[in-house]
Amino acid sequence: MPVELFIALRYLSASRKRAHVALVSAISVAGLALGVAALVVSIALLTGFQDKIRTRLAANTPHLVVEPSSSETFSDASAMARAVSGDRDVRRVDPAFEGRGWVADGRSRTILPARYRAGADSPKAGETEVSTAVAGQLGVARGSLVVVASLRTVLTPLGPIPVTVPLRVSSLRRAGTLEATPDLAISRADAAVLAGDPDPVSRLEVRLADPSRADAVARRLRGSLGKAVVVRTARQLNSGLDFALRLEKVLIFVTVFLIVLVAALNVVSDLALLVVEKRRDLGVLATLGASPRALSRVYWWLGGSISGIGTVAGVAIGAALSWALDFFSLVRLPADVYVLDHVPFALHPRDLALVLLFSAAAALAATAMPARSAARVGPAEALRLSR
Amino acid sequence: MTSPVVARGLAKTYGSGQAAVPVFSGLSLEIADGEFVAIVGPSGSGKSTLLHLLAGLDRPDAGEVEIDGEPLARMSAAALARLRNEKIGFVFQFHHLLPEFSALENVAMPLRLAGVARKRAEAQAGELLAQVGLSARAGHRPAEMSGGELQRAAIARAVAARPPILFADEPTGNLDTENAEIVFALLRKLHAERGKSAVLVTHDRDLARRCDKIFSMTREGVKAGDVREV
Repeated sequence: MPVELFIALRYLSASRKRAHVALVSAISVAGLALGVAALVVSIALLTGFQDKIRTRLAANTPHLVVEPSSSETFSDASAMARAVSGDRDVRRVDPAFEGRGWVADGRSRTILPARYRAGADSPKAGETEVSTAVAGQLGVARGSLVVVASLRTVLTPLGPIPVTVPLRVSSLRRAGTLEATPDLAISRADAAVLAGDPDPVSRLEVRLADPSRADAVARRLRGSLGKAVVVRTARQLNSGLDFALRLEKVLIFVTVFLIVLVAALNVVSDLALLVVEKRRDLGVLATLGASPRALSRVYWWLGGSISGIGTVAGVAIGAALSWALDFFSLVRLPADVYVLDHVPFALHPRDLALVLLFSAAAALAATAMPARSAARVGPAEALRLSR
Repeated sequence: MTSPVVARGLAKTYGSGQAAVPVFSGLSLEIADGEFVAIVGPSGSGKSTLLHLLAGLDRPDAGEVEIDGEPLARMSAAALARLRNEKIGFVFQFHHLLPEFSALENVAMPLRLAGVARKRAEAQAGELLAQVGLSARAGHRPAEMSGGELQRAAIARAVAARPPILFADEPTGNLDTENAEIVFALLRKLHAERGKSAVLVTHDRDLARRCDKIFSMTREGVKAGDVREV
């Protein structure tokens, strides 16, 4: 054991016998532990919610979307679907068509711009499933007639007019949380009329065996399919939300980390007190041959010990609290109002490592000043002043 | 042969401006190898300050100190610390043992600071404590020891790293006559056994007379004198 650590540990254990130093040291360790625990619980709370959001997003969003890069639809969607299915990580490929146009109620009193979609779960030909938002604006209900017009036009004696399809409202659909619901779900046959293509496919929706491999698979597909297609991952499709979630986490981390910084100031005052109290001993050690660096190292060890104990205790308390809050569903939510029935807490090893790293760094930075002042203690001056 | 301790033209002032208190100036002395020297003088004449300058614990405002031919002025703080560890033993008036450590650990401290492993350092410290008659007190902390025992332990600590020069700043000043005699005898014994140079600052004229040489300090400077004249 280095002599500096030997001295530091003795100071720490001896300080328990001196009430005022022990109190200040205990406050330093407890403050740091509380700050770190608060940080861990805050991050766990945020991660819990964000994990739920991401899980729901993953359930409602394809892991990858493959779209043609220079046209609205694929010229040979079946061949493209086969090529995509050939990847070892791809579990399912669903062709879908998404288009933009207008929708009007049966009497054309209200016309709205609309997004329509024909996918794997489309209604029968001649029918449509309308989102509640659009149905409300159009004033239509189940069984009503709506007219969908595409951006495509046909030439008539009266000039170019949009292609239209009359459809019966088969059902209304309420958008779930974080669901990108189209305004209208239509059949593939009606989509063919609107697009002017017997089998229109504007995107291939890909599900993977392991969603976490989306980036790697996307890179591979871009390489194998070339520039004719654009491959986007779920994260890219939801980049706005993803950015917001990350920003939220960073901001919470920075804000709650201020508590740790305040606790680190306690470490500064604790060690500064110890430098003043031990001034005579530092002078004696210098007389015996301790170099300024060795004296400084004694305080680095002291600061390191206080920081280490405080940070590790804080992480342990925070992690245990987060686990208990989640496992026993201690913070209940009214299930009829919120999507979740309890507040979720989740901890990722990366988050814990970051908390440990930043907290230990803050506490160690707090050690720098007292350590420097210990190194500057001149033996004669220390002995003279402590007489 | 180079004298182990040489001081030339030393000057020291505490404070600055109107509050400046000059302690001495132009002070020179030389201590030969193996000498046991006493420095005497009235309070405030700067005996302790001189000892601090000679031991490299403080820096003079002017003049220079050489230990074994090495000028201290040009040394870095780290080099000075190494020199103090290897070449200088220092005994304070108030023992200045570290209160959190046992007598054994205190005596072993200069060896530990020199990089000697704990076990070996404490074995050597144990032998030294036996020499000063404190084997039974090895595990005791300073708060559990008497004044005389503390000073004997402090002397053991000062010689633990076998330094060639020993400085003692009124080592008996805080002791009764009996303990003062024991401590002085111990200093002389260790000096005789190890044959090194020793500088003793003292108020006690009787003790000074028993040294090889005396330097008398006055406001005007330091004067080497005959022990019989004191």
